[in-house]
Amino acid sequence: MATTTTTPTKTESLIGKRLRRREDPRLITGNATYVDDIQLPGMHYACIVRSPHAAANVKKVDIQAAAAMPGVVAVFTGEDTKDVGPVPCGASLPGLRVPYHHILAVGRVYFVGHPVAVVVAADKYVARDAAEAVEVEYEELPAVADPEKALAEGAPAVHPEWPDNVSFNFHQEGGDCAAAFAEADVVVKQRITSQRLIPTPMETRGVVADWKTGDRSLIVYSSTQIPHLLRTLVAGMLALPEHKTRVITPEVGGGFGCKLNVYAEEALMGFVSMKTGKPVKWIESRRENYLCTIHGRGHVDYFEIAAKNDGTILGMKLKLIQDLGAYHQLLTPAIPTLSVLMMPGLYRFRNITADIVGVFTNCVPTDAYRGAGRREATHGIERMVDLLAAELKMDPAEIRLKNFIQPEEFPFATATGLTYDSGDYALPLRKALEISDYTGLRAKQVEARAAGRLMGVGMSTYGEICAFGPSPATPAGGWESATVKIEPSGKVTVLTGASPHGQGEETTFAQIAAEELGIDVDDVVVLHGDTAIVQYGIGTFGSRGTAVGGPALYYALQELKAKIKRFGEMMLDSSDVSFAGGVCVCNQTGRSCTLAEVAGAAHRAMKLPPKTEPGMQATYFWEPPNFTFPFGAHIVVTEVDRDTGQIEVTRYVAVDDCGRIINPLIVDGQVHGGVAQGLGQALYEQAVYDDNGQLLSGELTDYAVPKATMMPWVESHHTETPSPVNPLGVKGVGEAGTIGCSPAVVNSVVDALSQLGVRHLDMPLTPEKIWNAIQGGRA
Amino acid sequence: MKISGAHKLPLGRDRAFRAMQDPAVLAQCMPGCESLDRTGEDEYAMRMKMALAAVTGQFQGKVRIADSAFPESFRLIVEGSGKVGFMKGDGLVRLTEAAPDSTEVAFDGDVHVGGTIASVGQRLIDGTAKLMIKRFFDKLAAKAAEVE
Repeated sequence: MATTTTTPTKTESLIGKRLRRREDPRLITGNATYVDDIQLPGMHYACIVRSPHAAANVKKVDIQAAAAMPGVVAVFTGEDTKDVGPVPCGASLPGLRVPYHHILAVGRVYFVGHPVAVVVAADKYVARDAAEAVEVEYEELPAVADPEKALAEGAPAVHPEWPDNVSFNFHQEGGDCAAAFAEADVVVKQRITSQRLIPTPMETRGVVADWKTGDRSLIVYSSTQIPHLLRTLVAGMLALPEHKTRVITPEVGGGFGCKLNVYAEEALMGFVSMKTGKPVKWIESRRENYLCTIHGRGHVDYFEIAAKNDGTILGMKLKLIQDLGAYHQLLTPAIPTLSVLMMPGLYRFRNITADIVGVFTNCVPTDAYRGAGRREATHGIERMVDLLAAELKMDPAEIRLKNFIQPEEFPFATATGLTYDSGDYALPLRKALEISDYTGLRAKQVEARAAGRLMGVGMSTYGEICAFGPSPATPAGGWESATVKIEPSGKVTVLTGASPHGQGEETTFAQIAAEELGIDVDDVVVLHGDTAIVQYGIGTFGSRGTAVGGPALYYALQELKAKIKRFGEMMLDSSDVSFAGGVCVCNQTGRSCTLAEVAGAAHRAMKLPPKTEPGMQATYFWEPPNFTFPFGAHIVVTEVDRDTGQIEVTRYVAVDDCGRIINPLIVDGQVHGGVAQGLGQALYEQAVYDDNGQLLSGELTDYAVPKATMMPWVESHHTETPSPVNPLGVKGVGEAGTIGCSPAVVNSVVDALSQLGVRHLDMPLTPEKIWNAIQGGRA
Repeated sequence: MKISGAHKLPLGRDRAFRAMQDPAVLAQCMPGCESLDRTGEDEYAMRMKMALAAVTGQFQGKVRIADSAFPESFRLIVEGSGKVGFMKGDGLVRLTEAAPDSTEVAFDGDVHVGGTIASVGQRLIDGTAKLMIKRFFDKLAAKAAEVE
């Protein structure tokens, strides 16, 4: 396995070049078009009436007063929409209980924010006022918001048909865990939570639906990560032919997984537009976003790790309680299964047993949020490894180095059935130890402690599953598509099915295309997000945009390069022609023709090479043979204020290995953003429901997303271990920062407080929690 | 959420007890109260306006008095709902004679809120409720002379 610690590319290569993102000028100058910027002639506005109760029977919905208000076009309730297909769950598990998820509540509401009725008016303020005039009579029912309480005997049933509140039980094991635990010198147990988080994209969701009565066709504009899947599923819900349904995804102001979904409102706006014959816009308010868009995480994990006295890990057990919320959104039940898949982390042990119980609660559903499932697993594993190190009085770096899978062991088959593609796990850790001057940090820590200060050094060595994924392992196909069109002038248009929304593929894909065709990067434009323009694609999530969409583009380019060569041979009248640097050259005579000349000739088609079509376009659908498995090491230094419990992250060293890097600037940006969201979970964020299922953190005033001033300086470094899974050698980096961050931060703070006898802390590490831990340690 | 506290009224205990169940007096003293009408034995319909941080709204509700033990104690049950959510309260009010013309009114109860006021204003509910209760007693004290 070739590995290098720096980018080994030629200076003139576009691969590995730190190009600024070409999408940024429009984003930072206010020229981008988001859903709310779309104005259609005759636009109408929808406002949704939502339940203030977490559980209640809907006795009566009186729309008369609302419908009579001037400017109101229509009011619909669950009775009107009950024939629309259910909000889809794409995941399947044996014995999975799937509640029927109407787009508007029918008879009963299951969480605060559950949509009950929709008002359509010519003016958005009238719609809002009219929504307030809809009188809903509720009969309140007992609710349960905590997954462990929901499992207790006598808990209120979220869905009356399933009184135990269990949606599914899932068991997976590999190796022989019982033997491993019997053989162990030491077993460490810990309950670890990954609290519910609210994804909080800057742009909330938004939908415009435009029913063309004459054509009997529907256009849905939606802020989504998956335009094609959305089209397939919304067309199904509304019983429309798929080819007469078009989804347009304009700019997306942040997705992070919460827009990897199909929501009630997307079908509801289609329904409303079809019924009223008007284009209808709905823009989610921030409060609605917090109440009604999926949340992430929601784990209570009971971990056990078994090891030898020398630190050799033998096995791991996990009982995972997943808070599902009241319904399954698109991937809800699948997310915790990813945690189980990733349980081995970067370590060699092959004995694992895991049990998941998926629990209904009267809360908004959980689903994919940046790092989905893998972040929760990594947090648990990396906390357990630290707990084990503390138990054995070993250095946390030493215990990790001792247990890593070794470079010569790849491809490595894990106890959970995965095949890790490539890796040298010690590489980023050693680099992070060196950059952070780990030995020096430990010496400083001794001094700090002597001076009465609480300084901590923590690390995480994470692995993740990216490039979702091989189709058999995904609910809806795991391939990706690309079309490359070389226009008659030689300029290039790329259509990607991946629908990037902030990951920078308009730049990286232009780099790939320009590199392969030997042209200027400005001669390539990358389009996406319109099902009428772009061939079917799966979308962007699970760090798959470049890792699956990139190879699709690469292979489409190879097809075109072969065609270019055939034209070159014809035009240069030679069988010995090579195409490089944007020029076809006859190796015998030295005569040449440019890409523009070839493209012109291919479109003009006066003469064609044998068995060759005119034009210059290729489409490729690429099926990945495996996932990719990026990895890395984050080292975090913290200082805890004894008197206030305030935590300061004084150093953050991230060494991420995402395979070959196409654009280091974009990779760094992805790591920074990921770290911000990981830090949010570690220190600040928590979705809080009270015992009655009321969301208490329902606004940005009560939900602490980190601000710029709360961010440490992230020292972002890389190693490059190419993936053998795809021809670009890329692995994916969208979620790495989030996955690596929170365990490193928590390990660091626990390390700072370990001298007070603190062994474990659950997130978020608020000053109050830390202060209490310090007081407890003093007592 | 638990709510408890005590205030003094410059009234004898019997007068204090009656004042606290007189719709006319209550309507004047309750902050934001727009109307309070007797609908039955110890039952009132109420309309009030409440402001909690950025959330302002009108509530319609019911006030019920139960377990009335003149002049010592009664239970107050309040239910209200509006466009910004709902609230429910249930508490015991106890009156003790502090001096011949002074009564201490202690209350102890549970308040639940839901909807927007819960998701946006939860942190402020405690303070707001205490402030509203204080205003109520201040006003009632100021009106003591008018109470029979």
